[in-house]
Amino acid sequence: MAERTLTVIDPAGLHARPAARFVQIANRFGSRILIRHAEREADAKSLIALLGLTIRPGAVITLVADGDDEEAALGALTEELTPYVSQTPTSGAAN
Amino acid sequence: MVGLVLVSHSRTLIEGLRDIVAQFGGDDVRVELAGGTDDGRLGTNAVRITEAIRTILGPDPASSDGAVLLLDFGSAALSVELALEDLTEIERAAVRVPEAPLVEGAFVAGVQASVGASLDEVAAAAESAATMTKLPKD
Repeated sequence: MAERTLTVIDPAGLHARPAARFVQIANRFGSRILIRHAEREADAKSLIALLGLTIRPGAVITLVADGDDEEAALGALTEELTPYVSQTPTSGAAN
Repeated sequence: MVGLVLVSHSRTLIEGLRDIVAQFGGDDVRVELAGGTDDGRLGTNAVRITEAIRTILGPDPASSDGAVLLLDFGSAALSVELALEDLTEIERAAVRVPEAPLVEGAFVAGVQASVGASLDEVAAAAESAATMTKLPKD
């Protein structure tokens, strides 16, 4: 299991366009991938679940991946989100 | 890849919706339109819906990934029913008509189709768009 914590900085939050791209990229990986936000979590491979989190500017989100390609998945997803997030440092986390 | 058939009283409305699906799902997602009457008025047309479904299913419907229909309201449902009656059993088995809002349903169905989701998965995604959260809860 691997995870990354990020802060959404885009003024529109994680809006439809990045959410759609995010789901498309998540589906390329075999790992189970979740997004956690405000004590809720959503399947990162489902657009409707992701939009249901209503991720707003300033929200702290955690990407969690579990599977053989978990690190590659988190790398690709974090890269895709780069314009919309800042990397919140988490103690002991690998980059 | 599962294709979409958009059914509306207004051709203009679903032309715009097709742009949205292409923008968010990508150009690979196949979308067929059945909107308005043959003479350009508002209305729905069963014959055009059947044609649109057959275009998505292609010459060999048994091996097609299938078509998900999204419709607006009122007589659109009647036209869709008539269109489905015209299909062969094999064609009908490759079509889903989820209880879904047209715009939001097409948006999420297009994205799920683009990632190679199955016919039932795309239909389920469209259906869940009926309760899609748009505004933050706080």
